[in-house]
Formats: sequence, structure tokens, C-alpha cells
Amino acid sequence: MGYSFPEEVLEHVLSFIDSDSDRNSVSLVCKSWHDIERWCRRRLFVGNCYAVSPAIAIRRFPELRSVSLKGKPHFADFNLVPHEWGGYAYPWIAAFAEAYPWLEELRLKRMVVSDEALELIAKKFKNFRVLVMYSCEGFSTDGLATIAANCRNLKELDLSESEVDDVSENWLCQFPDSYTSLESLNITSLSSEIRFSGLERLVGRCPNLKTLKLSHSVPLDLLPNLLQKAPQLVELGSGLHTKEVHPDLYSKLAGAFSGCKGLKRLCGLWDVVPSYLPTLYPICFGLTSLNLSDAPIQCPELIKLVSQCQNLQRLWVLDYIEDTGLNALAESCKDLRELRVFPSDPFGQEPNVSLTEQGLVSVSAGCPKLHSVLYFCRRMSNVALSTIARNRPNLTRFRLCIIERFCPDYITLEPLDVGFGAIVEHCKDLKRLSLSGLLTDRVFEYIGSHGKKLEMLSLAFAGDSDLGLHHVLSGCKSLRKLEIRDCPFGDKALLENAAKLETMRSLWMSACQVSYRACKLLGQKMPRLNVEVIAEQGHPDLSPDEYPVEKLYIYRTVSGPRSDMPSFVWTMDKNPALRSS
Amino acid sequence: MGRATNSSSSSIDSSSHPTVSSASSFPRLKRDLSTDLSLGLSISTSDHHYCPSTPREQQSDWPPIKTLLRKALAGEGNKCNDATFFVKVYMEGIPIGRKLDLFALDGYHALIRTLDHMFSTTILWAEVDGVLHSEKCHVLTYEDKEGDWMMVGDVPWELFLTTVKRLKITRVDKY
Repeated sequence: MGYSFPEEVLEHVLSFIDSDSDRNSVSLVCKSWHDIERWCRRRLFVGNCYAVSPAIAIRRFPELRSVSLKGKPHFADFNLVPHEWGGYAYPWIAAFAEAYPWLEELRLKRMVVSDEALELIAKKFKNFRVLVMYSCEGFSTDGLATIAANCRNLKELDLSESEVDDVSENWLCQFPDSYTSLESLNITSLSSEIRFSGLERLVGRCPNLKTLKLSHSVPLDLLPNLLQKAPQLVELGSGLHTKEVHPDLYSKLAGAFSGCKGLKRLCGLWDVVPSYLPTLYPICFGLTSLNLSDAPIQCPELIKLVSQCQNLQRLWVLDYIEDTGLNALAESCKDLRELRVFPSDPFGQEPNVSLTEQGLVSVSAGCPKLHSVLYFCRRMSNVALSTIARNRPNLTRFRLCIIERFCPDYITLEPLDVGFGAIVEHCKDLKRLSLSGLLTDRVFEYIGSHGKKLEMLSLAFAGDSDLGLHHVLSGCKSLRKLEIRDCPFGDKALLENAAKLETMRSLWMSACQVSYRACKLLGQKMPRLNVEVIAEQGHPDLSPDEYPVEKLYIYRTVSGPRSDMPSFVWTMDKNPALRSS
Repeated sequence: MGRATNSSSSSIDSSSHPTVSSASSFPRLKRDLSTDLSLGLSISTSDHHYCPSTPREQQSDWPPIKTLLRKALAGEGNKCNDATFFVKVYMEGIPIGRKLDLFALDGYHALIRTLDHMFSTTILWAEVDGVLHSEKCHVLTYEDKEGDWMMVGDVPWELFLTTVKRLKITRVDKY
């Protein structure tokens, strides 16, 4: 009755609330809470850089310190999104340069970042601390040099999987001698040589360096020196390759690794020389994460290594590990939470290793905490999938890729509908699912009825008809991202479930059967969606309306059609009556 | 909701056969398609009918593995460090360059063919008559170790490989 809750108190309370969805709930309580919340929000996550404009974001949140942006659709990772599709970071960075002089962190994923954008970051943000560019492209080492030279307080520089134009090997030397704040450096994707002396000095003068992930051009004989200068490392990415075997080097390396008592995460190991693997044994017990997906280590050495990693929580490995290796993993690594097995010979017609569905079944039985799986293999059965589902109802991410398309259950030759049905039925918290193998509309019926927590679904070469898509769109209440390629889904399901698309972040469909007519209709019907047609083989107007479009990307947005589309992308008109003839 | 009878087409390569109408019905061809696949029938529309000379250069988008992993596996077959030699190729007007593995090509003709396809244009180089065909042609130059820009094709291929740093494609009238 007439007393007001002091703003400062509310702000203080809100400072303990980090989660975006909680903050969004807070802002819906009443106008004054909305206002207070927006002034004190410091972190922003934009899952689709075209869903909102920089101006809108800045207007709502005037005091951001940390922004994450994602650009291209996920299928860009597999060459399905044409070059120059979009996802440019510059407009965002330029807008932030004006609005947020105190911006500290930028995390960009699948975006095109130019050297000009990097220069803006380097010159305009006085307290810049964290730059993560995951799977980005468009910049060179010149841009990195500007960052190194100007960002005095930089803590983290992460270029994971980004394509960098290597024009200068000197850029690391641009960090001034007075610069000591580096905590995390990831330059694995840089292919050319770097100035090693510069790297050694940098590592030596940064006492808080915890993560160091190098490129494979760093030779083995440099590693002991680096490790000795940074025994406090928690995460290391390095090769273990050398042209000659030196006994000296071996003992130096073994000693250096033993000195890194806090090392928990290891990756890299490109071209590893197997005789050097034992130098790692002293640190195995402390490892929680091991990424051997670049390491061509064969099964026996893999077993020796992995059996010593009793505290392992995450393992990424090539299929050289085979079923026997996975059995050993299931025996030794009872704390395992995440397993990814990649194919060593993905384009080969015949299997080159003895890795089957049995390996995954073993791990599902032996590792009670396993919740995240990505598995490439060449055969699968419904009974194996059902066993996995019953063993591991706590699965949250399940991505299976059977390499041969339309591959049936190898025992019964039936579709794998029932197996995947078991997965969605038993794993009630499943958030992410990727299907493969021979699948009919039935699997989508199962997914629609059981996949209530499913947020992301990836489909390829699956289904019989529109009914499949209809089951998914009408049944999966939590669906946010749907990506489909080469499935016989067409207009009917899409148009009937148009409203659903506004509740999702995005839908990708390529090599399906959605007609140009349906795309135009959808564009008109749903003004808050951008319905983008990608047609590299010519304007869709040049073919009859009922022809299917090559690729389709639909996403919700509050900022209307984008203005930076290349010549082969068209947004369907929201109001064709306004178009001048 | 009962299971509907199959009334819509399950034709996979509808995009490469535009005469297929989505309204017509086709018999289910699952097993036959598997046979077709093992005969190497191209399914994906994003292949652009590109036929690489070596498996390493495959522009395949199936199975779904990331480009970097693909490159790492490709390089693994040859233990020597010189297995691949990627250079950036820039087309005038496009800020983002493409990467090209010169070691996967056996000479200038392969290079020009590849670039013609990658950038959808016709490239004029040293061996081609200097007559300007149309405004749609481009010229190919390269930056050598000294930082100079040279016309591609002036030196033997092996020598070219030792000196090239990157490639540039510019419009004929500008050059």
C-alpha cells in the first residue's frame, strides 16, 4: 500500500540470476521489473543473428558486457550451405562499438568475421577480455595481430575450427612484453608455422595460462619447454609427432608431462608417434577429457591409454578403438559422460575396422553416467538400439550416423523405426537426436508421441511421406531446431503446421519436396518468419511454381527480411501486393 | 490417425529431375534405391556435378563429418608433411577467399578447370589467346614468393608450385 520496492534491492537480487530464461521470466512480471532487468542484464545470447537486429538488441539492453552470436545453420558444417550465404559479424560489432565501449566478451559461432571487424574490436573496446570464434572464417592473421597488439586485458583467444588466412607468422609477437593476462589460447586451426620463440616467451610470462591448444605445426621438441614454463596448465592441445626419435626428448617430455599435475584435458595428438604415448601415462589418471579424434592411434595403444584414464568423463576418438577398445572403456571409465566415435575412413565402401553396434552397447551397459553420444558405424540393429535405450534412459543427446544411407537392421533387414522408437520412449530427457539408416514414417510417429523434451532433430534420407514431418511438427512440443536433408517431405505438412514454425528457432530443408508455391504461400501467411529459398541453379521464378526448391531455411525474426543476401537467396514476400511489377 | 497410404512421391532426386511433379505418385523404390546408391548414383543436389580427380578432394556432404576432420583424415594417408598444399583463391568483388589444394591437381589445365567450376566463370590465362571473348571472362594471376603478381601459366607447373603463395581472379577489363 504505497510503499515501493527499492530498485537497488531488486537489482542486487537480479545479479544472482544468470540464466537467460529466468531473466526473461523476471522481465515479464511487470513494467518496472522489465525496465530494471534490462538495465542490469550483462550477458546476451542470440541463437540466430538474423532473428533480431543489433539496433533492437542495443535498445533493449543498454549495458551488456558479453554477447554470443550464431550465424550460419548447423548444416554449414557439412558443406550444405553455399559459400557467401551470410552470417556477417561486422554490422553487429560496428553497432556494439558505438553502444558498448565496455564490452568484454564476444563469442561468435559460424560467422564471417573480417579483419576490419577484428580491428574494431581491438581499438574500440578498452576492456576487451574474451574472443571466441568457433567455426568462423573471413579473417587473417593480420586481424589477429591487431587484437594481440591492442587488447591489453585479453584473457581468452579461441579460434576453434575457424578458417584463418595465414599471411604472417609473426602475429603472436604482437603481444607486447608487458602483456601477461592470457589464460586461454586456442590456435589449433592455424596451419602455417608460427614464431616459436614468441610463443615460448608468451607462455613464460603468463602465469594464469590454463588452456593452451596449439596447431600441428609446433614440433615435438618444443613441447617440453612449453610445459615446463606452464606447469599450471589444465588443458593442452598438441601434437606428439617428430621426424626422429630421440631418447633425450622422450625423457624430457615424460618429465615435463609429470610436472603438469593439474592437467585435466588433452587433445590434438596429430601424427602421434606411438612410442611417445607412454610419456602421457603419468597424467592419465587426472584426465577428465581426452580428444583423440585427430590421432591415428591403433586399437592396442588406445586400450593401453584409455584403461589408465579412470576419471575420464569425455572421450572423442576415431573408430580405430573398435569394439574391443570400447569394451575396455566400459570396464575402466565408470565416470564417462560423453562419447564420440568418428569414422577413420568415411568414404570407403568397406569397413576398415572392427567397430560395430556392439561397442556402443557395451559402453551403454558399463557407463552409468553416459548421457551424450555421437557414433559413426556401419551397421545397427533394432535390438541393439532397444538395449541401449533400456541401459541408458538418462541419455540427453543421441546422434547415430550409419555410414551407408538407407541401411536396414542388419539382422532382420527391417527399418530401424522400432529401435529409435525405443530410444525416444525410454530416454525421457532426450534433447537432441540425429537419425540414420532405413526409416519409415513410423519412426516419426514414435518421435512425435514420445519426444516431448526434444529440442533439436537432424534427419537425412528418412521417411516416406509428409506424414513423417507432420508427426514431428505436431508432436514435439519443445522442438527448436529441425534440420532435414533428402527426405520426401513436401508442402502439406509444412503449411498445416505453419504456426509451429514461429515457436522454433529455425527449420532447414534441402533436397526435399517443398514447392516454390508453398514457400511463397508460407511467406505471405507468416509475416514473422523469414522464408528463405536458396537456389544456386537459377531464380525459382524461372521454373514452374510446383517444382521443389533446392534448399529452404525458415526462421522466426523480429527484424524482417535480411538485407545482405547473396544473389542465390530470396526471402519470400510477406506482402506481394506491395511489390511493384 | 491411421497410417496414410503412400500417396506422395518418395523420389529422392526430384531436384535433378524437374519433370517430377510432387503431386504424382510413384511406387515405393526403397530396395531399388539402395542398389542405385551402390552403383554410385548421385543423390545430393549440392554436389554441383563436380567430379574430383582424387578421393581426397571429394566435395561429398555425406557422411556428415566436418571439413577439418575430413582434411585431417585425408592428410593422414601420406606421412610426409607435403601431402597437401592449400592456397587461397580470391575472386574480385568477393571478400572471402576459397581454399584450393594444388597438390591434388596435375597441371594448369586441371587448375583452370577447377577454378572455372568453383567460381562459375571462364578464366583466361597464358595459354589462351589474348582475344577478349566477353565481359564475363576473368584473368588468373598469382602472388609469388617475392610478393609480385604474375600471370598464371608463365612457368612450368612444378616451378609454379614452389613459388605460388596465393591466387587472384580479376575481371578482364580491370586487368
